[in-house]
Amino acid sequence: MSKAKRLTRRTEFYIFIVLVALCIVIHIVSGGNLLVPDKIFTILRAMTVDGIFALCSLVVMISGGFDLSFPAIAAFSYSLSTTICLNAGLCQDNPVIGFIISMAIGTVLGMFNGWIISNFKLNTMLVTLGTQTMFIGLSMGIFGMKEITSKLPAGFKALGTAKITSYTTTIGSREVTSDLSVCIIFLIIFIILASFLLRKTMFGRALYAIGGSEVSAERAGYNVKRTKFILYTVVGTVCGFAGMLRVCLTSQSVPKALVGKEMTIIPAVILGGASIFGGEGTVFGTMCAIGIITIVSNSMIVLGIPTAWQNLFNGIIILVGITVSAVQAKRRNG
Amino acid sequence: MSENLLEMRGICKTFGGVHALDHVDLDVKAGRVMCLCGENGCGKSTLVKTITGVYTRDEGDITFNGKKLGKITPAEASQMGVQVIYQDLSIFPNLTVRENLAINSEITSGKKIVNKKRWEATAKEALSKIGYNIDLDAIMGELNIASKQLVAICRALLFNAKLIILDEPTTALTRREVEALFRTVRQLRDSGIGIMFIGHKTEEVFEIADDVCIMRNGLNVFSGPAKDLNRDDFIYYLTGRRLEPDPFIPKNIGETVLKVDDLTLKDHSCKNVSFELRKGEILGVTGLLGSGRTELALALFGLEKIASGSIILKGQKVHINSPMKAQKLRIGYVPEDRRGEGLCLEQPIADNIALASLKRLSNKLSIIRQKDINKDAEIWKEKFSIKTDDVRKNVSTLSGGNAQKVVLSKWLATDLDILILNGPTVGVDVGAKQDIHALVHDLANEGLAVIIISDDLPEVVVNCNRVIVMKEGEIVGRFDDDEVQEEAIVKIIS
Repeated sequence: MSKAKRLTRRTEFYIFIVLVALCIVIHIVSGGNLLVPDKIFTILRAMTVDGIFALCSLVVMISGGFDLSFPAIAAFSYSLSTTICLNAGLCQDNPVIGFIISMAIGTVLGMFNGWIISNFKLNTMLVTLGTQTMFIGLSMGIFGMKEITSKLPAGFKALGTAKITSYTTTIGSREVTSDLSVCIIFLIIFIILASFLLRKTMFGRALYAIGGSEVSAERAGYNVKRTKFILYTVVGTVCGFAGMLRVCLTSQSVPKALVGKEMTIIPAVILGGASIFGGEGTVFGTMCAIGIITIVSNSMIVLGIPTAWQNLFNGIIILVGITVSAVQAKRRNG
Repeated sequence: MSENLLEMRGICKTFGGVHALDHVDLDVKAGRVMCLCGENGCGKSTLVKTITGVYTRDEGDITFNGKKLGKITPAEASQMGVQVIYQDLSIFPNLTVRENLAINSEITSGKKIVNKKRWEATAKEALSKIGYNIDLDAIMGELNIASKQLVAICRALLFNAKLIILDEPTTALTRREVEALFRTVRQLRDSGIGIMFIGHKTEEVFEIADDVCIMRNGLNVFSGPAKDLNRDDFIYYLTGRRLEPDPFIPKNIGETVLKVDDLTLKDHSCKNVSFELRKGEILGVTGLLGSGRTELALALFGLEKIASGSIILKGQKVHINSPMKAQKLRIGYVPEDRRGEGLCLEQPIADNIALASLKRLSNKLSIIRQKDINKDAEIWKEKFSIKTDDVRKNVSTLSGGNAQKVVLSKWLATDLDILILNGPTVGVDVGAKQDIHALVHDLANEGLAVIIISDDLPEVVVNCNRVIVMKEGEIVGRFDDDEVQEEAIVKIIS
């Protein structure tokens, strides 16, 4: 099979075309209001946290699992971390301590997921549905609905508003300045890390192998149990980080803010070419898909579509994503 | 090279008081093919697992390559040079051929980082072991089974395999693929590797084996060179009984129940097919794969679209457009892939038997009486001697032959006029095969009209009083009562 032919059989190829086409169409329909620096800055900013979450979902799905609990882990981690920092008067200058605390909490929760999944060999979707509900319950019990907005430690706000560059346009007589947030660098770092992990390390190949056939992976000599434990633990750590990043970017810590997030992230990952049966998926496809949903949700206002229609769009993504995934699996298994 | 590569003496293994292995002896010599045979549940796989270290033996000695083995783990067995090609091949369907070939040795050598060049070299080395040529970038899951098998064999050879154990490798292969596999096996044998071939198909065993070891009920009942064994003895050792071919003698052939007249299917997989079927007879339909034999059966069961021609049932023209309609007309169909199409594996045996006759087993309010279902199932269990201690156990606990008996019971419980059997004994042990045949004979003699679709010619010849041969969708030969002979069919079949 030639290289070109193989390329056209990959979901990533089509999702990339869709992304490019969508950008051009929206750019034209909105009267040249998409592919301009300030819009791009906004979209990149909106993509940052979702992108990191999507990478977490991707690695879990490649291993043949589902993690529904990542928003709950993130929310619990940042809520607790913010509360601790606030009460102890930490993070007035820089937010590092806050991130470390949040990641530590995320790690512990991830270990809990990993322990149950690897030891009892249970269905990952059901386990994480259970732990998700548990973690949400835990944060509701401890924090109630308490939202921390104005009192947020100064260090968090500083990171959220730090910029790489800014761009000024004049709309009418007003001058509007948009910033390219520093936080996008974190997304780029995670993209590089995830790509390296999945393509260049035996751990990453183990995830593909386990997703393809767990029995074969075991027989080949992989320690499936340990691999899964490490996977869910690391995902917990990264979710703790991403959650904290969200607090900085939005300048608020709302315990319930991420509830239901998994229902937009996971379909996007599937749309990006990850298989619901495991063993398939790439960082590139995932980022293209996250790009698509972010652009669409950000452009709805520009295009004059009420944001209430957002769910319709998400629903379509779920259906398209799982259909493509199932059709491909069918082709593979004869 | 006649000293034993693997020597097992007095191996015992019990599971919960049941002797799975009872003082089994087994030898494999380097450079020879040893066939390990036995019916399902005889202890073959348990024995293999004691060699590979998955199970620990209770008693007995294992010597491999001159060294006595104590307790071993699967990883140690692999390092010593014992490689198993499992039936599922242990491949990764989502990865490329290259990765499938290289991944095991990468893990074993404890590599942490992927090196593309090294993977490529490993993969090429693996293929060169048997001179196999395949696109390294191909996705494993998209290959056919024979190619997957060869890749799995190549992968095993990377570990300096001294003993290769092939677990029923021919089950899903076509005849031509089996020949190709055997060529590879002989090539490996001639290079000095000991081969342990697990199988139960008589013809294949005699074709490939240098030595044979037969097991029955955990005992090793025969060991020795294949040339000391004839076919009758082989089957005797396998089943514990002398099986005489028991040809079907129709006792009361009645009126014509089914008449197919100039039938052509929409996709032209059957063209201008005409035949008659009488009460009390067994009609054989044979032909190669793709000859239209299966499509013909599906048409009679309402699963194929008919373009022209007619089906006449007891003198009345009928349109069978769905399996429901066929059932109403008292036609039953037992598919080839019974595990996939004929049975709900994770449901109790009793419920499976009742599946087609729920109407009879429920009351006026359509409430099903579980007691009657179980009672019904007990009757069939007795009649067909289905080997289970409880009909409430799941079908997945049964062997292939017994599962097939459940499928038959399901249809017979509905009171049929016509029963269509597609490959009724595919993957069934020799002993159970005989049982099923005897049962079908009885049913026919009780007045059922039976159609057996099969490419197993001896099966067709022995069990059918009339045979039609199909080729490319058309009937190319008909044999009546006394003239059904294997040689004659072979001549026209291909």
